[in-house]
Amino acid sequence: MGTSGNRHDEPSILARSPQAAHSDRGRARPETGVPSLSSRLMLAASAVLAAFLGLTGLTLDNAFRESARAAARDRLQAQVYLLLSAAEVDERGALRLPDKLPEARLSSPASGLFAEVLSESGERIWRSASSLSVDISYPPAAYIGEPAFVTTSTASGTPVFALSFGVIWEGESGPSHRYLLRVAESTESFTDQITKFRRSLWGWFTAAAVVLLVLQWLILRWGLAPLRRVAQEVSDVEAGRRDALGEEYPMELRRLTANLNALLAHARRQLQRYRNGLDDLAHSLKTPLAVLRVTGDGDASVEELRVTLREQVDRMQRTVDYQLQRAAASGRAPLSNPVDVVPVIDRLVGSMRKVYADKSIEFDRQIEAPARFRGDEADLTEVLGNILDNACKWCDRRVAIEVRTVTRAGAAEPRLLVRIDDDGPGLAETDVVTLLQRGVRASPDRAGHGLGLAVVREIVEDLYRGELELSNGPLGGARVQIVL
Amino acid sequence: MRVLVIEDEAQLREQIIARLRAEGYAVDGAGDGSEGRYLGQEYPVDVAVVDLGLPDVSGMDVIRAWRGAGHNFPVLILTARSRWQDKVDGLEAGADDYLVKPFQMEELLARLRALVRRSAGWAESVLRCGPIALDTGRQQASVHGELVDLTAYEYKVLEYLMLHAGEVVSRGDLTEHIYEEDAERDSNVLEVLVARLRRKLDPDKCLNPVETRRGRGYRFCLERDG
Repeated sequence: MGTSGNRHDEPSILARSPQAAHSDRGRARPETGVPSLSSRLMLAASAVLAAFLGLTGLTLDNAFRESARAAARDRLQAQVYLLLSAAEVDERGALRLPDKLPEARLSSPASGLFAEVLSESGERIWRSASSLSVDISYPPAAYIGEPAFVTTSTASGTPVFALSFGVIWEGESGPSHRYLLRVAESTESFTDQITKFRRSLWGWFTAAAVVLLVLQWLILRWGLAPLRRVAQEVSDVEAGRRDALGEEYPMELRRLTANLNALLAHARRQLQRYRNGLDDLAHSLKTPLAVLRVTGDGDASVEELRVTLREQVDRMQRTVDYQLQRAAASGRAPLSNPVDVVPVIDRLVGSMRKVYADKSIEFDRQIEAPARFRGDEADLTEVLGNILDNACKWCDRRVAIEVRTVTRAGAAEPRLLVRIDDDGPGLAETDVVTLLQRGVRASPDRAGHGLGLAVVREIVEDLYRGELELSNGPLGGARVQIVL
Repeated sequence: MRVLVIEDEAQLREQIIARLRAEGYAVDGAGDGSEGRYLGQEYPVDVAVVDLGLPDVSGMDVIRAWRGAGHNFPVLILTARSRWQDKVDGLEAGADDYLVKPFQMEELLARLRALVRRSAGWAESVLRCGPIALDTGRQQASVHGELVDLTAYEYKVLEYLMLHAGEVVSRGDLTEHIYEEDAERDSNVLEVLVARLRRKLDPDKCLNPVETRRGRGYRFCLERDG
């Protein structure tokens, strides 16, 4: 597949041809073994939901069961009191129950409600019509007035609730008698109740779970939509369909997208700069090469050749130096740490003291802490190195360095101001213009290629969108001021 | 003056050495870092020219090794990298000055002269002791403002003695700093040179600029003015 389609496009950072990107999209994303964000959230939320609903259901079920059981017990206890209220005492002081009982169920066989009365000796003295031929293992009553309640079963296996209740019957004149009243009720209605309750409980819970899961899925889709959009836009950038990510993102993502955009813009500027640099380099080398070729072809004398050679080599050297220095400057990379300015100045001053040892220059430093530069340390060193080098070259014996942080009205971030003064002869009006052009040096008999200030301007103004100002300062010499 | 040149590019090294010899320096050359480091430690070097981009041991490490061993002769670094970051790194490693390649020979010579002069404690390029002045840039000597015609060797001896004015310089030292390792050495030659210098600088025998310390060497005994 041809990549030539990309050649005249605007620079695509992750340079790939649109076709390549397209075919890439058709391919399945490689499995990384890491579950996606939405499946993680979905899985976790579903597990929490299931656990919550399950535990709530179990608790409700249990509570309902307990209360139904307590109700069954209360009903049996009420039956005991009903029996006692219906009971009569015969002339011998013994307990008797009428044939017609207030509770109709006791009189009809197989009604599910059973009752009997035992005498002190354990002899059954009465049993309800319903409990004929039904044998129930009642719990023993431990204390008088305290009911004993159990779940048990009849001899035929029907589960029942059974309650035994001991009473002391005090006759009006005669001795008191003890009796044991025993009632039992089939658990059928209780079981029915429980089953009905459970059915409706779990039915509702299942419906709620389904609704909640759907809601949750919708919320996730809505909540994660910006992430999907970022992914989509990044692949659009990859494919060259757009230059940068959009602006309107939620606050949590905005830092990420803003930094990504800054990185993209930085890379694009860098690419453009390299491209321009190469163009400039090629063009500016062509002229001296042409001169050399013409001179070589002509019939110049050896002396003339020597002079031409030297001139053109100098010219090419200046060009290469300038372009290389320009290309090496990297600019403010997004996400980079701020650079502390003080150590950079210390190192440079140390170097200047060595290089200009003859002049024994006094350096006045006024540095307002914290002086930080948001950018590349090598660029800062290059800028300050060139300015200081010029100051040392021209000064008589004093160089003043002032570093401050300034905040311009309307500007969000504080900027770094560096002002370097020397007590040399100062600048003429025309110098200010010409010094900033590449390759111009103020004095031919001093070292340096005159590229210094041009490179400084390039870095300060073009790379960091800062300001560079040349003037004459209070020490009588030149003042170079930069704001970064 | 004895110069050590460490440069791996043979053509450039030979050109530098040839030019330095023509200027009257005694030159030792080395094509790699380890040889250069050895020469710097073993020979009485007055000044060294070190290329930073050497194939084996980097120029920076060579300088650090010398400084670590207590050798304090001035070092000029040659570097193809013109960024300030690189220059500062080199100067912090112990170099005293830098020169960015490609350079002009005159520039190299001027820097070397300045380094030698500075390391001997002279601030200006013209060394003045009483009526005698030695212009290290033009390589000319004058007495009471009158130029004195000196041969190359006479100039070398005078320069070395004046740079170390006030100090006793042994014959051995003087020989080592003026002649290369393989040159023929004869202390009689030195005596002849000193005698000629005395005659040329002090025809009336009233200044007596160079005194002989028996068994120890020579001393340039006029007070430094600079």
